[in-house]
Amino acid sequence: MAANDKVDVVIVGAGASGSVFASVLSKAGKKVVLLESGPDWQLGDLISSDFWGRRLKPAGPPFLLEGKNPYGYVYQSGWGVGGAALHYFANFPRLMPNDFKVKSTYGKGLDWPIDYADIAPYWDKVADDIGVSGDAKAEEVWRPAGKPYPMPPMKTFPGGDVWKKAFDKLGMRLTPAAVGINSTEFKGRPACIHDGWCHVGCPIGALANPLVTYLGEARKAGAEVRPYATVTRVLTSADGGKVTGVEYYDAKKEKQVQEASVVVLAAWSAQNPRIMLNSAAGKHAGGLANASGLLGKYLTAHFASGTSALFDEDLQPYMGTIAAQYFSYDLYDKNAHKDKGAFGSTFMVAGTAQRYSALGGVANARLDLFGADLAAFMKRAAKGYTRLNAFAEEMPLLDNRIELASDKDEFGVPLGKIIHGFNDDAVALFNANFDKGLEIAKATGAKEVWSNKGPMPTIHLMGGTIMGKSAADSVVNSYGQTHEIANLWVAGPGIFPTSGAPNPTYTIFALSQRGAENLAKNWGSVAG
Amino acid sequence: MDDIERRAFMKGAAIGALAFSVGGVEVMLTPRQARAQNVPLKTLTADQAATLDAIGETLVPGAKEAGIVNFVDQQISIPPEQALIEARIMNVRPPYANFYRAALAAIDGASVAKYDSRGFAKLNAAEARDFVDLMRQNKLDSWKGPPPGFVYFLMRTDAVDVVYGTMDGYAHLGVPYQPHIAPTKSW
Repeated sequence: MAANDKVDVVIVGAGASGSVFASVLSKAGKKVVLLESGPDWQLGDLISSDFWGRRLKPAGPPFLLEGKNPYGYVYQSGWGVGGAALHYFANFPRLMPNDFKVKSTYGKGLDWPIDYADIAPYWDKVADDIGVSGDAKAEEVWRPAGKPYPMPPMKTFPGGDVWKKAFDKLGMRLTPAAVGINSTEFKGRPACIHDGWCHVGCPIGALANPLVTYLGEARKAGAEVRPYATVTRVLTSADGGKVTGVEYYDAKKEKQVQEASVVVLAAWSAQNPRIMLNSAAGKHAGGLANASGLLGKYLTAHFASGTSALFDEDLQPYMGTIAAQYFSYDLYDKNAHKDKGAFGSTFMVAGTAQRYSALGGVANARLDLFGADLAAFMKRAAKGYTRLNAFAEEMPLLDNRIELASDKDEFGVPLGKIIHGFNDDAVALFNANFDKGLEIAKATGAKEVWSNKGPMPTIHLMGGTIMGKSAADSVVNSYGQTHEIANLWVAGPGIFPTSGAPNPTYTIFALSQRGAENLAKNWGSVAG
Repeated sequence: MDDIERRAFMKGAAIGALAFSVGGVEVMLTPRQARAQNVPLKTLTADQAATLDAIGETLVPGAKEAGIVNFVDQQISIPPEQALIEARIMNVRPPYANFYRAALAAIDGASVAKYDSRGFAKLNAAEARDFVDLMRQNKLDSWKGPPPGFVYFLMRTDAVDVVYGTMDGYAHLGVPYQPHIAPTKSW
């Protein structure tokens, strides 16, 4: 086993949250090392192709997937430097004020220990730092006022505009989507050219992926990134009062130890609890920082009800971004579909650019078709297809969890087991959003409309290391610091107690900025 | 990525090519070219290839000529972390060859049971269509293998990939492929 010189901070995972921590802490003068299990992707690796884009995701899950609605792990996750934020869609909606006290208000789910106002300044800061395009004023029909976005909204195309007309016709509100993509040049990064390849990585840096934002800044400030470094355990002191570093396997599959004053786990909602459970030792026999027994618990996923519309006209569906052109919080009230037995918020996006193959491609808009029927559909849909997606919220359930399995990986670490199922509230919400989607789609005047109804999808992954007020009810505080071990921190969507309905990455960036600033400010009392 | 690995990768990616072994030499070919040149298969047997060709063509017209067999064979013959097939995204546990062997055996087994001992490649077009329609709906009684609906989904995706997921495929649909950076540039 090889040892390395002790550093101030070791960050496990070089994705969205790890990059922010690395940026803030390295600029604060700390010696930072990021350990990333996959390759060190460069912008030139981001090929505009659905085939090659698959390389940015893990090859086979280190997780076994169980439960009524098994979680779709690989599609959602990242592999390599940049993490899932290298292939994310860069929709930048924020949570809403009604997301933070769900348990107190409705008697369901959980409460956050903080409110909208605690995060709002950090959403604004992220927007100023890495660039957001949108119309903040227009969003204020749904949320408190904040700073304007630094860039105007993205250009729209007919595939999005048809939905805007339908919403107007129905008296519903649809505003330009806030996205982490440049509508104009921003801090030396070029404007988007609307070619629709965001989801396989943006090589021109118009999309705010970590390589061109936080990670680039961190590297410039001296942070070191070690690719192909697979962390297996967090190491603790003899009395269990602090962590001392991590054990990992390097690119040559040799065991290494990296000592550090602070450990930040930023390896996503599934991998963080797996590492913490595998680090059980001494007084932490049930896994690190697990006095609550909630480590790995309260996983949540989003689900989406997609509605399709087909026109004879050319909607230019191949133009734009994979992020939305428009979005709406009109169904964000948790009880918006109460009459249908549903509970939870819904967030709608319209006018994403279409690709023609792969999971989200046009070919899968009619999964029932094959042969000559599919070929005919593809011809008709090539220029006339558009889609509305209603993303919705799953309440946190104790049974949705990550455990260690008996099978082990090549390093002898037990595989994780993700157990997940939706409850009746979620199923009712899923169905209600299809009904609403069809109503809206009919108002577009399309020649054909239909629901893309199949098995309930699982999208994004939150929870597993939730934040709360104390070690009795949660794993970490609102900054991501574990309640029980002052120098062990967790970053990313795993700390969300509830999911809301919007895409999580904007909030991941904001919470990570807030957490990292707090860590830097209180370094003297935190570092081990 | 390592510089040498990146150069090889970029060279192939630029033209949608994959590394096939011809006479012991690695050459970059598209699956369509590999099929046209009769590049030997590394993992699939001749019978498995015939079944995959037949079901690929039933799922998406043009998949056979586009080289679905060479594409899948090449992809399941390389380390899983290099694989570009949808099985990777759909949580199939590597090695992916195990899934394809089991799936193709299930297709042939169910076909033999339903159509007087004829494997799928021996079915006429109408029979093949009916079989796939039942497979899609998980309604094949004698099926033994991964869930038929899932096999339908993954093999349909492979076929869609080789027919529509390429620059040629976009051109066939009459839509611009518009990659960020032209393939001839150094990226």
